[in-house]
Amino acid sequence: MIPQSLIRSVTATLYERSLKKIPDDTRAALQQAQGSERDETGRRTISIMLDSAAVAAQRDQLVCTDVGIPVYSVKIGTRVQFEGAVRQAIVDGFADLVRNIQPPILKMITHPLTHERSFTGKDMPIVTFDVIDDADYVEIICAPKAMGSGRWEELKTFVFPSLETIEDYVLEVVMRAGSQPCPPIVVGVGIGGSFDYAARLAKQQVLRPVGERNAEPILAAMEERLLKAINAMGFGPMGTGGDSTAMAVHIDYAASHGFIPVAVALNCWINRRMGARISNAGEVEWFE
Amino acid sequence: MREKWSGSNEAGSNGAIGVTINTHALQLPLSDEAVRRLAVGDQVRITGNITISIGLPTHKRMLADLEAGQELPLDLRGGAFFHLSSYLEDAADGGLPRALYMNPSTSTRYNAYMPGLIRRLGLRMVGGKGGLDATSVASMKETGCVYLSFLGGGCPLLSEAIQSVVSSHWNEYISQFRLVTLRVRDLAATVAIDARGNSLYENLHQRAADRLPQIREELKRQRELAQPSPQPSK
Repeated sequence: MIPQSLIRSVTATLYERSLKKIPDDTRAALQQAQGSERDETGRRTISIMLDSAAVAAQRDQLVCTDVGIPVYSVKIGTRVQFEGAVRQAIVDGFADLVRNIQPPILKMITHPLTHERSFTGKDMPIVTFDVIDDADYVEIICAPKAMGSGRWEELKTFVFPSLETIEDYVLEVVMRAGSQPCPPIVVGVGIGGSFDYAARLAKQQVLRPVGERNAEPILAAMEERLLKAINAMGFGPMGTGGDSTAMAVHIDYAASHGFIPVAVALNCWINRRMGARISNAGEVEWFE
Repeated sequence: MREKWSGSNEAGSNGAIGVTINTHALQLPLSDEAVRRLAVGDQVRITGNITISIGLPTHKRMLADLEAGQELPLDLRGGAFFHLSSYLEDAADGGLPRALYMNPSTSTRYNAYMPGLIRRLGLRMVGGKGGLDATSVASMKETGCVYLSFLGGGCPLLSEAIQSVVSSHWNEYISQFRLVTLRVRDLAATVAIDARGNSLYENLHQRAADRLPQIREELKRQRELAQPSPQPSK
């Protein structure tokens, strides 16, 4: 039995950790980029990024002031039992975080029609739910979404697109973002399914471990060549020039109709995501 | 076979490979001459007073007031105005607040307001991250102004430069939308648009656009290598 209070405290902690620590795989990818970066300003910029992340973790500080909006992905094992409300626990967890986090965070939640900003809002936090058949745990990933990369994400629906059309579209989106989404970025691509499902797939790809090779050869090859293509564009770290525009391109697809949506999600270099698995016995296992 | 993603033997970015980066320690306010000495790619460390805000309503109001011939609540003429967001902790005694941290925001969303602000205030320095458009660049060239790129996600390091809050205006806005003047010491940034009209962003965008045909060509070649025989349609 998983109590409401545990979901509440875990979701608050996930948000705070995602703001103060970049994932280890992301740090490793940045270190690797620093080694291969040919541009002097680019190398220096990555070095300062690594310093910034290290200092934030050491001193319990925010890496970025744009703490984004709270976005949670929740997967519920079908053998799990809850005591109390799940959605409310996440709402309360976020309210706890806003009240308690040090240093305090800025208001980012924006009413889309009036642009008024606060710490609460309709449908906040954004939560998606999935099930995991036969599992006796709940998996929660918090990946706050901020404007730097969020404003450049896109979705377009094609009809029987060729691989070339799909890849051109990914390049087009990355080109439009150019220097602005705080590169080196992680690019997540979702192909097919339906309008809403493609966007979800793209988001899930951003959450994959950086550089993890796709199990499907056709996607692995596509990821590899698109990463090289994006890095040949030359926007570089913080968009002031260099070879390191993307750390990874992650792609997945779902079967579709002849109309095939392609969604492109982006994450900035701090690549915020934190996860936890809560067992039915109430044990918490943290992961990135 | 060798992969050809872009022209061979080409510099990784703005041609700065192997070139020593110039570093300037600058005391604000800057003279026209000092601003015009700065070039794209230079590193700067600035000390003095800077004014910051990331509020769209703030920008709109600033420009509207100036166009109406009204004075802003602080004298920004010849000053440094950056798209940095900060958390202000109000003082218990009603005195000046404390700035707990700061970090840049994307500047392009203020494109509509920046040329007017730059011209009317004769700003010497603007900045944030991601750059400004060609109209802003033209106004910067005209008045003698540079754009500084600060590290996004550089909050812990950039905040070390904060010395004190000098003033805070339009306090009816949320913290990051206020018009706040900070005293900073050794605030680090890269000159990304200079007063000669050179913009790293424009150069990089143009170069990426120029490279695109070759990148698409190489993608095509890689696709063919990955799938030597096309799948028959079923």
